[in-house]
Amino acid sequence: MGLTNTDIQSAQGVEQTDGNIITTTIDRVVNWGRKNSLWPMPFGTACCAIEMMATLASKFDLSRFGSEAIRFSPRQSDLLIVSGRISIKMMPVLKRIYDQMPDPKWVISMGACASCGGVFDTYTLIQGVDQFIPVDVYIPGCPPRPEDLIDAVLQVQQKITSGASPKGVEHLLET
Amino acid sequence: MNEEKEVEEQPIPLVIQKLEAHHADALLSQGEMRGTVVVVVRKEQAYAVLEYLKTDPELAYTFLVDITAVDNSQMESELMQFDYARYMVVYQLYSYQGQCRLRVKVPVHENDLNTPSVTGLWQGANWLERETYDMFGINFEGHPDLRRILMPDDFEGHPLQKDYPLRGRGERESFNFDKQNA
Ligand code: SF4
Repeated sequence: MGLTNTDIQSAQGVEQTDGNIITTTIDRVVNWGRKNSLWPMPFGTACCAIEMMATLASKFDLSRFGSEAIRFSPRQSDLLIVSGRISIKMMPVLKRIYDQMPDPKWVISMGACASCGGVFDTYTLIQGVDQFIPVDVYIPGCPPRPEDLIDAVLQVQQKITSGASPKGVEHLLET
Repeated sequence: MNEEKEVEEQPIPLVIQKLEAHHADALLSQGEMRGTVVVVVRKEQAYAVLEYLKTDPELAYTFLVDITAVDNSQMESELMQFDYARYMVVYQLYSYQGQCRLRVKVPVHENDLNTPSVTGLWQGANWLERETYDMFGINFEGHPDLRRILMPDDFEGHPLQKDYPLRGRGERESFNFDKQNA
């Protein structure tokens, strides 16, 4: 991510004095780094995962937004993408993976199934993963288009830039 | 008139001929569905018949494609056919040699869900029977490891039974996180 002078001048909370000195806050710098290097943990359990793969592949190329480093270990990732149906047998696995991710972490619930059970209102399907893990961004659609997933990643980025804390730690801050 | 005659003269499939010769007492019914021969076999002799179908050199139904079951409890006409047997365990077989398929059905009564396991004939029956047990509650006697395969271990009931509610009995909200993580 190359920085131009205009970038620096237009950035919020960043001031440029004469010469090559800029002043800002450490939070902003850290958030700027986080925002542009989100490492997703893909949790693809159904058809939505196909769209996720498409998003990562060259045509839609999520790496344009710094999120191409897919980590298959939750311990190395900070963005969980839940894409697909989650059954009652899979939910404990998902929860465990979420718990293993280091803070700060963000969660995208991709598609109708992950967000609310979709058309599968049956005995075995979790009707929305947000009952068990905190979700930052929901994507509607069945399946959502790759652009929708990119949009969700951008929304997570916005959330990070704005300094908002992830859903997962909000309850800790309240007390 | 001519057409009718032709229908009558259709050859009896080899498998029916041979079953009638060797296992006539086991055969409850026979027929054809979209080109597949279907036979209904008494539960007590089911293992012997399946073994015969597999090992007979002329038939050689060596490939077990699938095992599943059907719950007929809400279809009166189907139910009555075989003395109110609620379940029908279905075996799909294929013979590479004869290049033909065969469907073997075994009626199972609700008050006696035991039926012989065919894992001794086809190793691949292992998971198929586990699935049928998980979904319908059919108890395959002699199965080496008859556990649930799809539903969580602590799940109660068999969800493909017709009287199981579609939205479950509250498992979606109350399932046990810790036990499954162990
Ligand atoms: S929302 Fe649609 S595309 Fe996505 S997992 Fe569910 S059924 Fe598949």
